[in-house]
Amino acid sequence: MSTTSPVAEAGRPATDPRNRSSAVRRVVALTRANALLMVRNRLTLIYATVFPLVPMALLVANPGDAETGVTAVVGVLFLALLFPVYYNVLSLFVTRRDELVLKRLRTGEARDGEQLAALALPGSAVALVIIVATIGVGALFDLPLPANAPLFLVGGLLGIAIFVGLAFATAAFTKTAEAAQITSLPVMVLATVGTLVAALPDSFARVVEWTPIAAMDALTRATWLDADGSIAMADTWRDAADPLSVLVVWTVLAVVLGKRYLRWEPRA
Amino acid sequence: MNTTTPDSPAIEVRGLRRRYGRGTTAFEAVRGLDLEVPRGSVTALLGVNGAGKTSTLEVIEGLAPASDGEVRVLGLDPIAQRADVRRRTGVLLQSSGFSGELTVRETLQMWAGLVSDPRPVDEALAMLDLADRGGVRVRALSGGEVRRLDLAVTLLGHPEVVMLDEPTTGLDPESRRDVWRLLQQLRDQGTTILLTTHYLEEAEVLAEHVSIMAAGRIVKAGTPAELAEGHPSTISFATPDGVTLPPLEAQVAVDGATTRIETLELQDTLTDLLGWAARHGVRLEQLDARHASLESIFLAVADETSHHRAAAGDPASLEGATR
Repeated sequence: MSTTSPVAEAGRPATDPRNRSSAVRRVVALTRANALLMVRNRLTLIYATVFPLVPMALLVANPGDAETGVTAVVGVLFLALLFPVYYNVLSLFVTRRDELVLKRLRTGEARDGEQLAALALPGSAVALVIIVATIGVGALFDLPLPANAPLFLVGGLLGIAIFVGLAFATAAFTKTAEAAQITSLPVMVLATVGTLVAALPDSFARVVEWTPIAAMDALTRATWLDADGSIAMADTWRDAADPLSVLVVWTVLAVVLGKRYLRWEPRA
Repeated sequence: MNTTTPDSPAIEVRGLRRRYGRGTTAFEAVRGLDLEVPRGSVTALLGVNGAGKTSTLEVIEGLAPASDGEVRVLGLDPIAQRADVRRRTGVLLQSSGFSGELTVRETLQMWAGLVSDPRPVDEALAMLDLADRGGVRVRALSGGEVRRLDLAVTLLGHPEVVMLDEPTTGLDPESRRDVWRLLQQLRDQGTTILLTTHYLEEAEVLAEHVSIMAAGRIVKAGTPAELAEGHPSTISFATPDGVTLPPLEAQVAVDGATTRIETLELQDTLTDLLGWAARHGVRLEQLDARHASLESIFLAVADETSHHRAAAGDPASLEGATR
């Protein structure tokens, strides 16, 4: 034991914890640790970063083809929302909850919302970079730029929010990180049926259109396909209205579910 | 907003109750508990496993709401005024919670970003004798090292009040003494400490105030001296051959080779005994005289409680009291 004085000198400045800068400082400290943990898990890292861009390879066979392009971009969205966002946040949350890290952190100054933000941020940032990258990678393969890129990105952000919320809700039913392989299945299925919407008979498609990835598909078509210049910006908004409302409804639902079922400690 | 004077207690608990579950499976772990921790003191909450120590502490730490009753830490509500309380308190949970894949230094750096007024990480490492372990991943630490890292986190933000749930469980005797020294040093510098322990020695060495908990209530509280009052002191010695002891105002038991005397007036009895031995030239080998220890008080209390609960048909009582 050293002789260092364990007690503070008098008169140190009292930082106001409601001060925004200290909230940001806390989220940054937590996010950095979570990002470090994500990077240390090589397999997760590869799944989260390289894997989601694989569908872009479809364009190698059909460069410049808009239909192929949209299929590829939706494939990327699907994988980016499932792996770096949903599965990554789910396993990070469950692991840290079981290690009692979350409980320990709740004894400190960090508020619950700050902890949740820090758990979601590394994976969300990776997904956002991948979603933005589709525009550049698409251009490399002669795909036109999206007619309404900002709206495309808004859709991407809503998708991230949906799958973060679903990850927190799923965590409540997930006892260990291994169990996540099973408990994640319903959300995986929900996401996967969305990619099949074009191939389904109409009666099924009308239901499946309401799933998040199907809405992302429709939004991508609306914001991207009309990029030949013949359609005005206003039209992309009109075409995007339906899928965008579906995504907003899912965002609200996912946040409500996440809040409703969130648990900070392992079940006794 | 509550204002507190320097004399007001650091922690005040009134009529605390904490229930788990509902209906027929409901269980009340804390059953009307009062506790006062004076500023600058070390107070120990003592009890067998299952007495309700951790359940109590979690409410004081603001991690769980009280089912009933009132808790004030530095005059503040630990849940409603969480931010103000957390800035001035340090908590050590019964089980440590760290990510195994982060190094010791990374863990402390993260925590340093979470407190308003962090110590330098190197100072925190040195305080808990972890200076040469900074680059090691937490999963590679020994149990004792993890506990010391946990304590470093607790003390990282210069807390005025620290709440420690079994701080030395899992430590080897040497680290335990080091932690005691550190806690004494903190107390000397004015930090208020509330700790739970089932090591009686720990309470005896550290605490000015001891509260003994059983079945969700404080059954005895006071300074170690006050608690010892009314409990007999013990004199023992090897039974001398061929002599009969004088009549003493005490309980005398000859247990084969050892004679044990229990007395409420240690000095008087000892004077009588030694005077008699001197007059008769009797040598009392292995002579030992001691005050009632916390251990004997604790055992007496645990005994009483288990009898009460056994009488009430509580199946958990014996297991809890004998552990």
